[in-house]
Amino acid sequence: MTQQDKRVWGLIAALVLVLALAVPVSSGVFGVNYDYTLTVVALGGGLLGMLSGALGSFAVLRQESLLGDALSHAALPGVAIAFLVAGRDLPALLLGAAIAGWIGVQFISAVTATTRIKQDAAMGMALSAFFAVGIALLSYIQGRGDAAQAGLDKFIFGQAAAIRRADVELIALAGLVALLVLLIFWKEFKLVTFNREFAAANGYPVALVDGLLSLLIVGAIVLGLQVAGVILMVGLLIAPGVAARQWTHHLGQMVVLAGIFGGFAGATGAIISGIDVGLPTGPLIIVVASVLVALSLLLAPERGVLRVWMQQRADRKRFAALTILRDLYSHALQHNNLHEPMSEQTLVKVRGGAAQEGLRQLAAQSAITQARNGWYLTDHGIALAAADARNQQLWNLYRRHHHGLDLLAVAEDRDQPIDKVLPAEDVRRLEMLRKGEAF
Amino acid sequence: MELLEQGVIELLLTFVSVDNLNAFLRDPRSVAILLGAMVAMSGAWLGVFLLLRRMSLTGDAISHTVLLGIVVAFFAMIALGLEPSLSSPLLLVGATIAGVLTVVLTEFIKRSNLLKGDAALGLVFPLLFALAVILISRFAEDVHLDTDAVLVGEIGIAWANTTSHCLDNCESVTITPESPQAQVGRQCTNCSRGGISPRDPTAIFEETCSNCGTYSAAEAWRLRLIPEPPLLVFFPKALGVMGVITLLNALFVLVFYKELKIAAFDEALARALGFRPVLLTYVLMTLVSLTAVGAFNAVGSILVVAFFVIPPATAYLLTDRLSLMLLGSPLFGMLGAVTGYELARGSFLGLSVNAFLRQLDSTFGIGGYTDWNVSISASMVIMTFFFFLLAWIFSPRYGLIAGIWQRRSGKMRFKDQMLMGHLYHHMGAPDEMAECALPTMHEHLNWVESEVQASLARVSKRGWVQIEHNAAHLTPAGVQEVIRFRNDLLRPGWQNDAVSFAAIGD
Repeated sequence: MTQQDKRVWGLIAALVLVLALAVPVSSGVFGVNYDYTLTVVALGGGLLGMLSGALGSFAVLRQESLLGDALSHAALPGVAIAFLVAGRDLPALLLGAAIAGWIGVQFISAVTATTRIKQDAAMGMALSAFFAVGIALLSYIQGRGDAAQAGLDKFIFGQAAAIRRADVELIALAGLVALLVLLIFWKEFKLVTFNREFAAANGYPVALVDGLLSLLIVGAIVLGLQVAGVILMVGLLIAPGVAARQWTHHLGQMVVLAGIFGGFAGATGAIISGIDVGLPTGPLIIVVASVLVALSLLLAPERGVLRVWMQQRADRKRFAALTILRDLYSHALQHNNLHEPMSEQTLVKVRGGAAQEGLRQLAAQSAITQARNGWYLTDHGIALAAADARNQQLWNLYRRHHHGLDLLAVAEDRDQPIDKVLPAEDVRRLEMLRKGEAF
Repeated sequence: MELLEQGVIELLLTFVSVDNLNAFLRDPRSVAILLGAMVAMSGAWLGVFLLLRRMSLTGDAISHTVLLGIVVAFFAMIALGLEPSLSSPLLLVGATIAGVLTVVLTEFIKRSNLLKGDAALGLVFPLLFALAVILISRFAEDVHLDTDAVLVGEIGIAWANTTSHCLDNCESVTITPESPQAQVGRQCTNCSRGGISPRDPTAIFEETCSNCGTYSAAEAWRLRLIPEPPLLVFFPKALGVMGVITLLNALFVLVFYKELKIAAFDEALARALGFRPVLLTYVLMTLVSLTAVGAFNAVGSILVVAFFVIPPATAYLLTDRLSLMLLGSPLFGMLGAVTGYELARGSFLGLSVNAFLRQLDSTFGIGGYTDWNVSISASMVIMTFFFFLLAWIFSPRYGLIAGIWQRRSGKMRFKDQMLMGHLYHHMGAPDEMAECALPTMHEHLNWVESEVQASLARVSKRGWVQIEHNAAHLTPAGVQEVIRFRNDLLRPGWQNDAVSFAAIGD
């Protein structure tokens, strides 16, 4: 198990633990009543979050995040037409939504393929025009004044409270099917997501795999519309994927983690709306998912904002120390006295505010000590400075002569001790060259 | 705002009579169309630059997030003790801040380099929109903000929400208890306490004036407190707000035309020339937010994005010139607004929607047919989109039909060149009779016989090929033509036509 694996499993365990604790805590402290309705809604929200989070990872990786937005808007006329044709029947409404969403995607690719209009404008058009058709049809349906139309507009904002047991079963079934398809076509999905050209060159049916993946995403969106609604669906689709991307470089782990993030957001959103009945579930889910994203962006190892900031701080400190060490050493060499002191004022005048930081760092390493007339190098400091000077000289020689001496080609990273990067034999030859030059 | 409206009214009254102006402003149709046209115009002008800078979806995101600004502005108004209203300038301020906040947050996330593509936008605007929806539902009793109205707008009743401007006979009327029109009523002052009924002997009565107070001339006339009607003009508030925004956008585009143009096509050059494209972007985004919030009252926050995207895309398919795009896209938007109003009322470019629906109903027997009477703003978008589809199909340069035609004629030209190249290659050679004989030529070219005949017909018609003794020969003009296109293909950059040249040289 690598570091990354451990991290991902730890994260998953932590989230599951939080969720497991959330139920007794919320019912104990906030008096949330886990009645039948709330259980069903939380279960439905969690499952939908898992489904759309896992599948949304692919949308995130393919840099098609906003396609989900266009698609969910485009689904609205499908809902309305399906209602006009088949009445209030959930599978029919979902089928209508899926067909309309699929037509929307086809429209976008047709416009971008046949004209010079770019994808963003094509998506904007599909989104607003299809949505307008949906709104017009919904207002037509309302005008008919039949009672069954009530609640059709829940597709716009989503209405998690309306989820029933049958819906949860449908979602669970769809999730199983999606999982099965993912497992069967895992390699194909992976290839097409990361390197289409390679997949095509190796004879994979790229268009077919694309279509299948799009179909899965359309399915997740259509199911999610009931909870999150047309406008917020894109958040539920991509936020878990974006958050998961920060923690791992492994597709499998990312998809699983995104599913867990999405499920966590879905269930937690439902529980919070149980605390305060006035709060709508869908937007709460989006807020929870956004919090997960913010935390991930902030805390993620390697790339996280916090980590990068700390790294930069450490680099700045190290560089300040190195600069002062070099200044003191060259000053000492000029005066032929390795313990020649230099006043703090002079250093600050040359190096600015960073000088004090550098002095503090060096003093902490006991590389320098303070005398009456300034700072001077200790024996340890002299050894450090000499090693650094040697290292820089060897790197300079490497840059000038590595072709001529036929040395091993390595990336020139001057912060590294050259002995660690080059083979001992190469270093010995550079060392000879250095001594020859020095004499 | 009111002063401005007053000025506009006075200006208009130099052209039309008060009666005509009122008839126009009290007509739902004319106000809706005028408002739609204004939204279309301002959306189109800004949308052109959004389209060229590939920021169309930023416009979409902003049109969603202005909702948060509107809600927060509502709370601010309540906190300041003002009457919350959808036409308050505070609303514009709040929404503009929210719009710019969207862009700033998106840019901030993008700059961290942790996300790719458009994911940053897809994270920011659902969050801000979700916050707005949560605030609305949590404080629904304080905020009389109908989410439906926010999404779809109410352009059809914009004419009813007016400010009245009085032009003549404008004295206000004050009713005091002594006035002849005062209505005095008896009111029980202690009835609410302790279950005392008005009939109870202990009930204390007081005489109060129920209509005392000061009335503006308009109110006084409505209550018939004055004998003569004042001269009033009712000016729809939305028209004023949208008019100012339209003007502002027009000014922006006119004044910064050069800067916008350079920034749209070559941002690096704009920066090098000191035009500060980033600042320009933020001004553009501020205006987009302003337009979105001004228009949401009329067409709703989702549909306004249609006016940002669709008309510019339509114009983009028809012209290569920025100036023509800026003229064309508002025209398409306005056309959509005008025809869209009719569509909402059941007329699709003069054809009856109801007749179509009835036909559909009787053919398929779906049942439940009702008259077509739908959201006006949605219909305006549908018609705008319809004009885009027309442009997409019929555009002379970039349309689908033009594309098919170009591919077809390109294919034919390629065939003709290949055939003439073949004749040129064998001209005067010993095998000329065999290679260029009509019955067998298709075998040498490896074509179907009918293709050879069709191509021969085309090139003979242009006088490049002559048929003699059952064989095809190049005429002198034909030889000239072959040399011309061979030279053309040999120009630098000929690689594009490498295939055809290789085929001819063979």
